[in-house]
Amino acid sequence: MGGMWGSDLVALRPEFFRAMKSPFDGTEVVCVKALVPDYAIIHVQEADVYGNCRILGPSYQDALLARAAKKTIITTERIVGTYRMKEEPKLTAIPHFLVEAVVELPGGAKPGICYPEYQAVEWPKHKAYQKAVKEGQVVQYAQSMLEGRL
Amino acid sequence: MYEKVMSLNQATDLIKDGMLLGIGGNGMHRTPTIFSMALTQKPVKELKICGTALGLAADILFATNQADTAYFGFFGLENEAGLAPGMRKAMEGAEPKARAIEGS
Repeated sequence: MGGMWGSDLVALRPEFFRAMKSPFDGTEVVCVKALVPDYAIIHVQEADVYGNCRILGPSYQDALLARAAKKTIITTERIVGTYRMKEEPKLTAIPHFLVEAVVELPGGAKPGICYPEYQAVEWPKHKAYQKAVKEGQVVQYAQSMLEGRL
Repeated sequence: MYEKVMSLNQATDLIKDGMLLGIGGNGMHRTPTIFSMALTQKPVKELKICGTALGLAADILFATNQADTAYFGFFGLENEAGLAPGMRKAMEGAEPKARAIEGS
């Protein structure tokens, strides 16, 4: 890739970035080692039972992440009929063949944000998390947040 | 196409010791926090975590020391939520329990 020239990362991370000659025209190019996750874990707003997913609002790098990983586990605000994907196929951010598991998990990004379902951080619960980290009580905090969903 | 719906318990059982997990979302936004919380109830350990802008779901796994390595461009919660407390607790100090591979 050409965009790495000028970045200190090429020298700082030789385990990820190497310069070499392009086999096509002999110019110097930077090669980047790929990270291949065993699983991508992605929370979405809509998925069907086969794992076709729609992401509403910002998608960040999640469509790429699902393609980089060996397989993807989806948690979803709701399971929708496949007709949703058929209505507008290009809005399917993650197709079924990348997905190994679909878990229906409303509120799956709490106490964080999942546009447009819940658009603000649940501060009391987040402050409880920060306190739990300090006190080494995160396993117990998580247990209370799971509310029997495991 | 075949049906892949399963319980949170069944899905977290797919995660084994030492796996590299890519975690979606960004900071406090659409990160799979409840999945991470479910993983804290399992004995899984030595996880490696990667993502572009790791946030709360990744932080939880460092808070419990189930993850020992993070590959990232950014790791934090942003805005009022500030820094990632579990990651900092695992990575800072004289004897850090986790490694940060920033810019990978």
